[in-house]
Amino acid sequence: MSRRTLVGGLTLAALCSVSPAQAEETLTVYTYDAFVSEWGPGPSVKKAFESQCDCRLRFVALDGGVGILQRLKLEGEDSAADVVLGLDMNLMAEARDTGLLAPHGVDLSPLALPVDWDDDTFVPFDWAPFAFVYDSQALPEPPHSFQELIDAPDDLKVIIEDPRTSTPGLGLLLWIKHAYGDRADAIWRGLQPHILTVTRDWSEAYFSLFLNGEASMVMSYATSPAYHMAVDHTDRYQAAAFDEGHYLQVEVAARTRHSEHPQLAREFLAFMLSRDFQRELPLTNVMYPAIDLGDGLPEAYSKLIDPKVYTFSPPVVREHRKAWVDDWLRVSTQ
Amino acid sequence: MSEAGTGPGRDWRPARGVLGVGVLAWTLVVGLGLGSLAALLVNAPEVAFDTLWRDPYLSGVLRFSLLQAGLSTLLSVVPAIPVAVALARRPRFPGRRLLLRAMELSLVIPTLIALFGLVAVHGRQGWLSTLWRELSGEPLGYLYGLSGIVLAHVFYNLPLAARLLLQGLERQPEAQWRLVAQFGLTRRAIWRCLEWPVIRRLLPRLMALVFTLCFSSFAIVMTLGGGPGATTLEVALYQALTYEGDLARAALLALTQLAVCLALWALALRQGGGMPLLATGDAARPAGRWRRRDARGLSRLVDGVWLTMLAALLLPPLSAVVIAGARGLPALPGQSALWPATLLSLAMALAAALGALMLALALVAAARRWRDRRRALPAGLLEGGGQLILILPAMVLGTGLFLLLRPGLGGDWQSYALVALVNAFMALPFVMQVLQGGVALPVGNARRLADQLGVRGWAYWRWLVWPRLKQPMGLALAYAMTLSLGDFSVIALFGSPSRPTLPMLLYQQLGGYRWQGAAATALVLLLVVVVVFALLDRLSRRRPRYPQSRYSSRAAEAADAGMS
Repeated sequence: MSRRTLVGGLTLAALCSVSPAQAEETLTVYTYDAFVSEWGPGPSVKKAFESQCDCRLRFVALDGGVGILQRLKLEGEDSAADVVLGLDMNLMAEARDTGLLAPHGVDLSPLALPVDWDDDTFVPFDWAPFAFVYDSQALPEPPHSFQELIDAPDDLKVIIEDPRTSTPGLGLLLWIKHAYGDRADAIWRGLQPHILTVTRDWSEAYFSLFLNGEASMVMSYATSPAYHMAVDHTDRYQAAAFDEGHYLQVEVAARTRHSEHPQLAREFLAFMLSRDFQRELPLTNVMYPAIDLGDGLPEAYSKLIDPKVYTFSPPVVREHRKAWVDDWLRVSTQ
Repeated sequence: MSEAGTGPGRDWRPARGVLGVGVLAWTLVVGLGLGSLAALLVNAPEVAFDTLWRDPYLSGVLRFSLLQAGLSTLLSVVPAIPVAVALARRPRFPGRRLLLRAMELSLVIPTLIALFGLVAVHGRQGWLSTLWRELSGEPLGYLYGLSGIVLAHVFYNLPLAARLLLQGLERQPEAQWRLVAQFGLTRRAIWRCLEWPVIRRLLPRLMALVFTLCFSSFAIVMTLGGGPGATTLEVALYQALTYEGDLARAALLALTQLAVCLALWALALRQGGGMPLLATGDAARPAGRWRRRDARGLSRLVDGVWLTMLAALLLPPLSAVVIAGARGLPALPGQSALWPATLLSLAMALAAALGALMLALALVAAARRWRDRRRALPAGLLEGGGQLILILPAMVLGTGLFLLLRPGLGGDWQSYALVALVNAFMALPFVMQVLQGGVALPVGNARRLADQLGVRGWAYWRWLVWPRLKQPMGLALAYAMTLSLGDFSVIALFGSPSRPTLPMLLYQQLGGYRWQGAAATALVLLLVVVVVFALLDRLSRRRPRYPQSRYSSRAAEAADAGMS
């Protein structure tokens, strides 16, 4: 008994005694939890950056891009964050308006995004088009446009996420709005019989429902099949290419104005566009890298769909998001 | 423990200290609870009450919240009555223990795991649907929509309700069951004189508890709701706190929830008696040792049907989780993060549970002291303070506390401490229920006897209080620990450095396509919950080490029971 207590106590003490080293500079990066998980990009990024900066990198994992922004807003100028990593385009305008972010000063010429990028605050680090992923065993012939999906028999069900609580959910809303403008309501009305349910976030949609075989399509990313092909070694799950083109998701990072280590933060942002950082992303974050990796891109990525992509500009999203969500609510609850 | 009296007119041992500590604990809990609400309001740029009330979206949300919570409550609590009666009437049948453990488990399973199990069984491609298609050729679809929400809530709450009712029935004095046996009372007579009076006293608070839990349900309602028509106040709250960053709206929504649930609780507390709401350890003697005339004949069939239905509701989804987890077992050795996460989760859960236990002890002891002095109002206030946290949304509590404590929040470990604190608060209502129900402090004869013999101080505590206290304390710790173990909402809010807890690890794995690993993590989480329950149950039931203590606790019981 006493020995067990001792071992337990020692373990606790060991857990508690780990604290950041005092001697060198510590760069604090707010990010989302999947980024810092042991299989995520976090650990190798930390190692690579620390080997070149003579500093320590500290990740604080929060609940998605929304969580990062919320924390930053709550903390304001006292925030411990030197860098925020993992906001998406739809949060950019709001994040900029906080006045807490500083220009990045990074050379953006290595960027190879499917859209032009000249923002002076946000550095994009990966991207993927939103797409419906389908189970090719249950659905050999997937629809290739929203209209085809609407016209499909009613037993073709899709699982989508809620735009009020989830990034892919908001992505779908913006996708339809961008593709159809004023006709978006009609598209949503047509989709209603096909929507099995609207989940809180991507994990519930993809894992709890889709992989359980509950529906043959789920709202996700065009890159999702790459993981299944490269790691699970199955091409059962594929993304459906839609004729309307696809809405683009870009993940970005920025440095804070009140950081105590502005130089280090700038270095980190520049490091994010290096090959050392970027080559980790395709199979850990399951997104396209923001620079051209050439042969460094896993082979599975060559089998993905390559659709036309577009986005609204961040201020447009900020201005209309609430009204568009309300429209969606109205149509969906009729 | 001062000189406060051994004299007959004066009360015993713990003196003013108890009241002081109780009031301190109350101030801490209520202060931080309401303080977090106030922090939101203060930090909000503007507060617009009027626009909130006129918002048709919100009135729709409120209507739906009330509807689904009302339905779920009815369908959880009403069938729980025959189930509890059947369980009380059948004290021995194969698998009874297993069923009881599964019932206790149902309260603390993390939502995501429960969802997975429910979908695997009841989904469009679930076991039941496959079976039905084989038999009839028709597809089966009931999991999405109001029916799915209610099913999930019944899965969570019916076992809880039945467990608590059973507890109430089994705590009836043995003498009553002896009389039932001796008179050979009929079914109707037993129901009228024994069962219904107990159940009637329990029902109001039970319904209030279940209603509160269903009312504030979030992920289940969204995932199984089938569309945005199924939105509860919690969803609106999440929206306000995150995407809209509207602290004032969040605070007002929390106030709305507070008002609805407080009204309900006030009603329930007025109706109900002071019975325990949480299952405490079984009484030493099962009531059914006495032959009951109503336990023969057709009633076997009826009880069998009810118990089969309970098992059918509870066991398949749990089995689905275990089976999926077993498939993930090969991935276990490669999971270097799993064991540190388990340790961290256990450490934080233990901290939270001990915190909750201390707060609850302080509150319960002080409330009891005031009750003894026939001061019902302060006693009620103390007890009510502990329930406040159940009604206050965790997101609001967390964000508010974050705002309150912000300047002091530097490092990672403060974040962990804060998470443990909020988890302790969230477990507090459950812990208090266990303690209130289970702690029969020495009263009447036992106390008089102790006074006459001059037993006080440490000896009084060791031989008269502790034997009565340890079992409820063990169970309270188990509930508090497992509630914290499964909690994800709070830690997600505060964020963490790279070391995740078990539920965080689960979400990370799901977010990173690690299905196998996630299944294994879910299994480990479930096992840890079961082990914590079993271990604390075992520890608190263990016979005392000294032979005479057995005697003394028996003697105390005997003194309690009778001879005057």
